Amino acid sequence: MTCEQVFNANDYKTDLKPVWCPGCGDYGVLTSLYRALAESRCEPHETVVVSGIGCSSRLPGYVETYGFNSLHGRALPIATGVKLAAPALTVVAVGGDGDGIAIGGNHFLHAARRNVDITYLMMDNEIYGLTKGQAGPTTPAGDATKSTIYGNPDTSVDPCRLAISFGASWVGRFSGDVKGTTALIAQAIAHRGFAFLNVMSPCVTWRGDDQHKELRAKVRAVPADHDPASAESALRLCGETGHLTIGVLYDVARPTLLGEMMSIRWRAQGEAPPPTRADMLQAFAAV
Amino acid sequence: MLTGSSRRCVLSQQVALAIVGSGGDGAVAAGEIVAIACSGVGLHVMKTEAYGPQIRGGESSCTVRLSTTPVRAQAGAVDALVVFSWDDFARFSDEIAVAGRGIVLHEEGDSAPEGLARTTIGVPFARLAKEAGAPQAKNIAALGVLSALLGLPADAIRAAVKQRFAKKKAGVVETNLRAFDSGEAFARELTVQIEPLSYTPGPAHLLMSGNEACAVAAVDAGCRFFAGYPITPSSEILHFLAEWLPRIGGSSLQTEDELAAIGAVIGASFAGVKSMTATSGPGLSLMAEMLGLASIAEIPAVIVNVQRGGPSTGIPTKSEQSDLLHALYASHGDTPRAVIACSDVADAYHATVDAFNIAEEFQVPVIVLSDQLVGQRKETIDADTLVHDVRERRLAPQHELDETYRRYAAGDDGVSPMTIPGMPGGMYQTNGLEHDERGRPSAIYGVHERMNGKRYRKMEAIARKYPLFRRYGPARARLGILCWGSAEGVVCEALDRIGDVSVAAFVPRMLAPLPAAELQKFVDACDEILIVELSFSAQFHRYLRTEIDLPRGRTHVHARSGGKPLTADEVVDAATRVLAAEEVLV
Repeated sequence: MTCEQVFNANDYKTDLKPVWCPGCGDYGVLTSLYRALAESRCEPHETVVVSGIGCSSRLPGYVETYGFNSLHGRALPIATGVKLAAPALTVVAVGGDGDGIAIGGNHFLHAARRNVDITYLMMDNEIYGLTKGQAGPTTPAGDATKSTIYGNPDTSVDPCRLAISFGASWVGRFSGDVKGTTALIAQAIAHRGFAFLNVMSPCVTWRGDDQHKELRAKVRAVPADHDPASAESALRLCGETGHLTIGVLYDVARPTLLGEMMSIRWRAQGEAPPPTRADMLQAFAAV
Repeated sequence: MLTGSSRRCVLSQQVALAIVGSGGDGAVAAGEIVAIACSGVGLHVMKTEAYGPQIRGGESSCTVRLSTTPVRAQAGAVDALVVFSWDDFARFSDEIAVAGRGIVLHEEGDSAPEGLARTTIGVPFARLAKEAGAPQAKNIAALGVLSALLGLPADAIRAAVKQRFAKKKAGVVETNLRAFDSGEAFARELTVQIEPLSYTPGPAHLLMSGNEACAVAAVDAGCRFFAGYPITPSSEILHFLAEWLPRIGGSSLQTEDELAAIGAVIGASFAGVKSMTATSGPGLSLMAEMLGLASIAEIPAVIVNVQRGGPSTGIPTKSEQSDLLHALYASHGDTPRAVIACSDVADAYHATVDAFNIAEEFQVPVIVLSDQLVGQRKETIDADTLVHDVRERRLAPQHELDETYRRYAAGDDGVSPMTIPGMPGGMYQTNGLEHDERGRPSAIYGVHERMNGKRYRKMEAIARKYPLFRRYGPARARLGILCWGSAEGVVCEALDRIGDVSVAAFVPRMLAPLPAAELQKFVDACDEILIVELSFSAQFHRYLRTEIDLPRGRTHVHARSGGKPLTADEVVDAATRVLAAEEVLV
């Protein structure tokens, strides 16, 4: 829920010190989230940050809102339950690429297709960091990691391409500074429906210093002629090799899970007065 | 027309019938019609169904027990059996016994298997239906025959037939009623003498399944969020709540799997709404990790597990009591949870409300352990018995919320007042990681030991407040029977049958925490102990051995696979052998 009160980024900081390594991209995402929450005027007590497990999933502990650091891969079902139970809350799910695409991949598909009204922030470092350096679903093919000593045999996936295909109604990607990340997180929070933001979050410990440089070299802004309402155009941008297109890739309005749930209630209730308990038991009565 | 030696069936206060057929024969539909009709005239009814694995068109059977007094268990043997095809009957011959004086009505011309040793009567069901103008209605013709032979309430059955076919095209009701009448007329010509069911019509009862009772209980307990994944034999809970929750301002979500179902339940409960999921063994296996999350994060959650044959996919359509240890211990780590069993349909209602009360008051996951037999059978029940106190979550008072609020600061009973998102000043970040009183992750031994202690203190408090069990028979007994869940009704019937004042039974309703002191007292007051359960590996026996002292050399176990309901006969037999100093199994 948003309000008229003015907040600043520091209002959302807890006094818990992040466990992240110096130079980790997650610091920038956390700062951006503080700023985006302030910019969006999200009341701290009416905001819930939910995560799974992984380096980036430690994030809810650092945000002075209600928070839930849950199980590996399971942030989205929990976030869905929170939102359906309390629609007025602002719900932000966060986590890494392994959490969201490997172990939690099935939930990613279904949260997106349901268009549940939450923001999903994926901090993509192309590696498993917390378990100390194994290949993940976004690790490039051929890369040597602790678990792929002779090179990664698997083809990597693009989280944004998945999100668009699964039916997310807002998909963005970013790699770069806090200002740009903040702006996109704020847009995602403002979106009605499932908003997915893939933020490149370099892992200096397990991907080395070069990851920053490589990303910088590949990044380019969404072209001016791109139509974000076109899935085809958005998927084409995702498919371009040699580039990492950042910005709003996809943005459409379509029915959301909350809207559908409301509409189901209307259909179930009809014009009739609210059913009584006796009405419910009537289903079990004899002729 | 008549074969076999017995020409007389003695029936009076109660009668049991079964109908066996293939898809399209309408065996199950006929059973439903009898059950609803008889519940309407105040008879007590228990209806069970059994199916083959086919989605449509497979063999199916329906057994209905009717009585002037409350029915505790399904019939061990039926008084009348309708067999549309002996081939179908062969699939259920393990499960459906015909009483010694019972009769078998079979399709005329379909020759009976050898060695049946029961009175068999050929009835031209198909011809009767065809002549009535409803070739599909041989099940209704069979109802006519049964009604006349057994003295069933014919007018009520006619009314139930009318209701069932009311929405069909014109003429269907009339032809079906004609089929019923010709069945009755056919039976009147039979020379078989049967003492009809003797009853006085009374006020109508409701007819409800255990799964439906769980769903109604959830609504009554204040559950307004349900998430579930379809699985036999629990899906009726999903179906009922998908219809009713939206009507009363709640939500029902069909998730992508059981992981998501319990995840959504934990999320919704964290956000302050009473929430439930329902599943069967395979689903409970998938939920194991989330059970630990609800336990360590101390979030109320109710999980109904309707047991079926296991392991793995096992026997999805048939009952067993073999998820016991899984329900008690599933999830890694030291994971307190409450487990409450239900013995019958009424119990399914009360156990589910109790489960919500315990979950909400003590902030723990609670498993309601039902089984296919309780979940899918229908029993008569009265609305005025479906009443149970409802308790609410212990929330931190809003005026006390300031920077000193500690989400996991423990009171004497281990429970910490909870806040829910939306409450100003109550913010906390919860965790599947071990955490301190503020919810902050901690890997420190002292914190872990302290928080484990806090979480397990809640179990002690639950044990004090909910020592739920039922006890039958004398305070001191030669034989004490221990059983749980759906075995209870069967054991009660066996006790009646044994009629020996020195036999007692103890049935814990709370399986975790177990009412151990009361159970020990019972065991200590019995010379011999007999444990009865439908688990091949005797899970209940193993569990009891970890929780109480069972007398060495005087403890007997009757444990077998599910797939066929427990019968009073086999309990009587086991008890008689123990009383005659024959060892059953130790």
